[in-house]
Amino acid sequence: MKIQLTKFDKILLGFIIAGYLAILVYIFATGYHFPKLGDDVGQRWIYQLPFGNSLLSRVNPMTIFMSWAIMIGLITFAASIKVFTVIPGKKQSLIEMLLDYLLGLTKDAVQKEEFVRPTFNIAATLFLFIFIANVISGIPGIQAVPRNGGVVFTIFEDTWYTPTSDLNTNATFAVMVLIISHAFAIKAKGFGKWLKGFFEPFPIMFPMNLIGELAKPVSHSLRLFGNIMGGGLLVLIISYLTKYFLMPTFLWGFFGIFVGSIQALVFTILAIAYIGSVIE
Amino acid sequence: MELGDALVQLGKFIGAGLAMGIGAIGPGVGEGNIGAKAMEAMARQPELIGTLTTRMLLAMAVTESTGLYSLVIAFMILLVG
Repeated sequence: MKIQLTKFDKILLGFIIAGYLAILVYIFATGYHFPKLGDDVGQRWIYQLPFGNSLLSRVNPMTIFMSWAIMIGLITFAASIKVFTVIPGKKQSLIEMLLDYLLGLTKDAVQKEEFVRPTFNIAATLFLFIFIANVISGIPGIQAVPRNGGVVFTIFEDTWYTPTSDLNTNATFAVMVLIISHAFAIKAKGFGKWLKGFFEPFPIMFPMNLIGELAKPVSHSLRLFGNIMGGGLLVLIISYLTKYFLMPTFLWGFFGIFVGSIQALVFTILAIAYIGSVIE
Repeated sequence: MELGDALVQLGKFIGAGLAMGIGAIGPGVGEGNIGAKAMEAMARQPELIGTLTTRMLLAMAVTESTGLYSLVIAFMILLVG
């Protein structure tokens, strides 16, 4: 196939290349601050609340801000397509396709009919939040970096701060899935039968079963955290090796958008599988 | 730099390198297996390529996680504390 460019395309391409070169010249001429290894990489803005002096009185403000921003964005998006029509529009067909796929997955994994709907609600909520949170980690935006003893807000130096690169968020979700799955199990099987499930093949296996259950949230949360956090650090390291001559945009695209969307799906599918395996 | 600090640095770098290097063996073998089997399945039934690719990527993402644990440990050794 021969690629044919119209005049408009050529002008647009010229503008894009000129803009790229202008950004490069601006960056190298003005001594722009690049994130350096060992300087501020892997550091976070931690705020000490005025009362108390324990671990519980320290918060991570960017995680809270970004979580609320994503939640408000999702709610606004949901409110904008309240009216579902028979002939779907663009937004509606996107949402229908996504939720239909997730509902199919849930029906495959959860055998009991009355638990399909709650499991699907939890899984879809988790997927939408984590998907948006991971995808914005592939888009340049605002980030708060502790630097020289204070906090600096940087624009377009790095990607948006994503709440899933903080282990607190992922561990909260994973523990939430564990507790919900066991609550469902107690509701589905009754307390005695649920307790008996821990002594399943023979009573001597009880510690094994207990550790197996408690290890679920650890691997569940660390998988997402390692992918997002490790991806972000790898982008910085690769960019640092090429002295930022190579724009890290395509690395952000790979680690943020591609890996991020796969990991959001993996987190959701594992949550469904955990719930489905416990209530059987 | 004191000798003690230098030894600590030495231990950190060797430890991070070993953690990442040994930890990458398992996911490498696992992902290779998944890729090979998926290729075989796709060659046998080319009409299932779409489904198989999605499942393959999912399985790879799950297999990768042990390697990512060692990556996290290596970063913690290098950057934290």
